[in-house]
Amino acid sequence: MRRPSLGSLAKFVWIGWAYLFLLAPMIVVIGSSLDGTKAYTGVVFPPHDLTLQWYKQIPATHFRALGLSLGLAVSVAFGACLLGIPAALGVVRGTLPGKSFFLAFFRAPMQIPAVVTGIAFLRLYYVVGDATGLFLNATFAGLYLGHLFVATPYVIGTVVAVLQRFNVRLEEAALSMGASPWRTFRRVTLPTIMPGVHAGALYAFMVSFADVPIAMFLTAPGFVTYPVELFFGIETDFSPSVLASASLVILFALVALLLVQRVIGLDTVVHSRR
Amino acid sequence: MNIRWDYLLIPSFVVSFVLLASSQLTFLRGSLSADLGLGMLSPTIGTANYETLFTDEFYLRSLWLTIKVSAIATVCTLLMSFPVAYVIARMRSRWAMVMLAGVVVSSFVTIVIKVYGLIVIFSAEGGLNSLLMAMGLLDKPYTIIGNVPGVVVGLMQFTMGFGVLLLYGVVRTIPVSLEEAATIHGASRARVFWRVVLPLSLPGVIVGSLMMFNLCMGAFTSASLLGGGRVFTLPVLIQRAVIVETKYGMGATFAAVLLVSVIVINLVSVFLVKRLRAARLVIA
Repeated sequence: MRRPSLGSLAKFVWIGWAYLFLLAPMIVVIGSSLDGTKAYTGVVFPPHDLTLQWYKQIPATHFRALGLSLGLAVSVAFGACLLGIPAALGVVRGTLPGKSFFLAFFRAPMQIPAVVTGIAFLRLYYVVGDATGLFLNATFAGLYLGHLFVATPYVIGTVVAVLQRFNVRLEEAALSMGASPWRTFRRVTLPTIMPGVHAGALYAFMVSFADVPIAMFLTAPGFVTYPVELFFGIETDFSPSVLASASLVILFALVALLLVQRVIGLDTVVHSRR
Repeated sequence: MNIRWDYLLIPSFVVSFVLLASSQLTFLRGSLSADLGLGMLSPTIGTANYETLFTDEFYLRSLWLTIKVSAIATVCTLLMSFPVAYVIARMRSRWAMVMLAGVVVSSFVTIVIKVYGLIVIFSAEGGLNSLLMAMGLLDKPYTIIGNVPGVVVGLMQFTMGFGVLLLYGVVRTIPVSLEEAATIHGASRARVFWRVVLPLSLPGVIVGSLMMFNLCMGAFTSASLLGGGRVFTLPVLIQRAVIVETKYGMGATFAAVLLVSVIVINLVSVFLVKRLRAARLVIA
C-alpha cells in the first residue's frame, strides 16, 4: 500500500524508544536479580553468572506484605464494583436533574492528589479515634476505605461509558415481554455493562496494588503493603533478594494479564475506558 | 412498568459523600491548628501554619517546583504516549495485543519497582554508564539520582502506562473513515494529522493530560527516592512533616495548598479550553 518512507522510519524509531523507556526498568530488575557474581559490590546488569540464589533469600516480610497487597487489591476491586455499578446506573438511567453534578461529584476523588487523600484519611482516623476510641489507622479497614475512595471513580467512569452507548429498547423489550425488573436486570442490563465492569475492576485493582502515597500514611511497621515495604527497603537493604521479589511481582503481573486476556479479552477491557 | 434507577444512586452517594466530606473537612480543620510537638495539635483555630508557608521562600519555591516538574513530566509523557496509543489503536495485526499488554503490565507494577530499575540503570558503575564511557561519549558517569531530571523521568515512568491506555481510548473513538476520506482527497499524512486527528482527539487529550498532571502532583515516590533528599516537592514535604517529624498541622497545611493549586489549575485549564473553543481557535 504505502512504501516505507523516512516518516515511517522515524515513527518506528520513536515507538521503539517509547517502549524501551517503558519496559527497560522492569527488564533490568529481572536481569539483575539473576546475577550471581561472587564478589558482591552492588547490583549488576547485565547479569554475569546466572543464579536463582537470591530468590531463596527473599525476606519473609516481603511475602507477608505481598499477601496483604493482593488481598486488599482484590477486595477493593469488589467493593468498588458494589459501590460503582449502582452509582453509574443511577446517574445514567435515573431521571434526577443535575446529572453532570453527580458525575463531577463521583469523579472528585480522582482530582484530589493521592498524597492529600492519604493525610486526609489519617487525620480523619485520628479524629474519629479520639472521639470514639476506635482507631482505624494501620488497620485493614482503614486502608480499605482509603483505597475504596480512590478506586470507585474508575468503576463509575467505565460503566457510565458503556451505559451511554446502551440501547434502552433492549430493556423495554424484555419488560414488555413480561420479564420482571430483576430478571431484566440480570439477563439484559448486567451482561451488556459487563465489559465496563471488568475494565473498572481491573483499574481499581491496579490503583490499589500499585499505590504508595495513600498506603504510606495508613500503614505502620509490621502492617505494610508491598509497595510501601519496598519503599522503605530501598534505603536499608538494596540487595538482589529485593530485586528477586520485585521480579516475582512483575511475573505475577504478566500471568494475571494472560489470564485477563484469556478470560475476558484485553481489548474489551481497555477499550471500554473513556 | 418501569425500573426506578434513581434509588440505586442513594447508597453509593451517601458512602462517597461521607468519605469525601469527612476526610477533607477534618484535614482542612487540622491545617488550621498549630503543632505542639509529639504529634499534638493545638485546640485553637489559627492561620499560623499558612503564615509560615506563605512567608517562607523555601516553601513557595517548593510549590512552584512541584507544579513545574509535574507539568514537564506531563508534556513529555504526552509526547511519548500519544504516538504509541495512536499506532496501537490503528493496528490491525495481533501485535496490537502484545503492545497493549506491555503497557498494561507497566501500569500493574508499582513505581517503586521501576525506580529500583532506574537506579540500577543509572548507577555510576552500571551498564549504561560504563558503555557510554567506553564509547567515549562521557568522561564521567551521568546520574539522574539526586536531580530534577531524575524526578521527571520517575514521574514519566509513573504516568506513562496510564497515559497510553487513556489516549488509546481517545483515538479509538475517532472513526478511521475520516482519516481515509482526507487521504483520498489528497491530504498528506502530516495534513491528516494536523487537520483531522489532532482536532478530534484534542478534548480527550486535554482531559487525559489533566489526569496525568493530577497524578504527578500527588506522587512523592519518584521525588523522594530519585530526588536523593535534594529535590523537595510539596508531596515530599508532606511525607516528611507527617511521617518523620509528626507535624500533622503543618503537613495538613501543605496538603491544603497542594489541593487548592490542583483545583485552580484544573479549573483554569477547563476555562481556557472553553474560551479557545468559543474563539474557534480550537475545534474541540
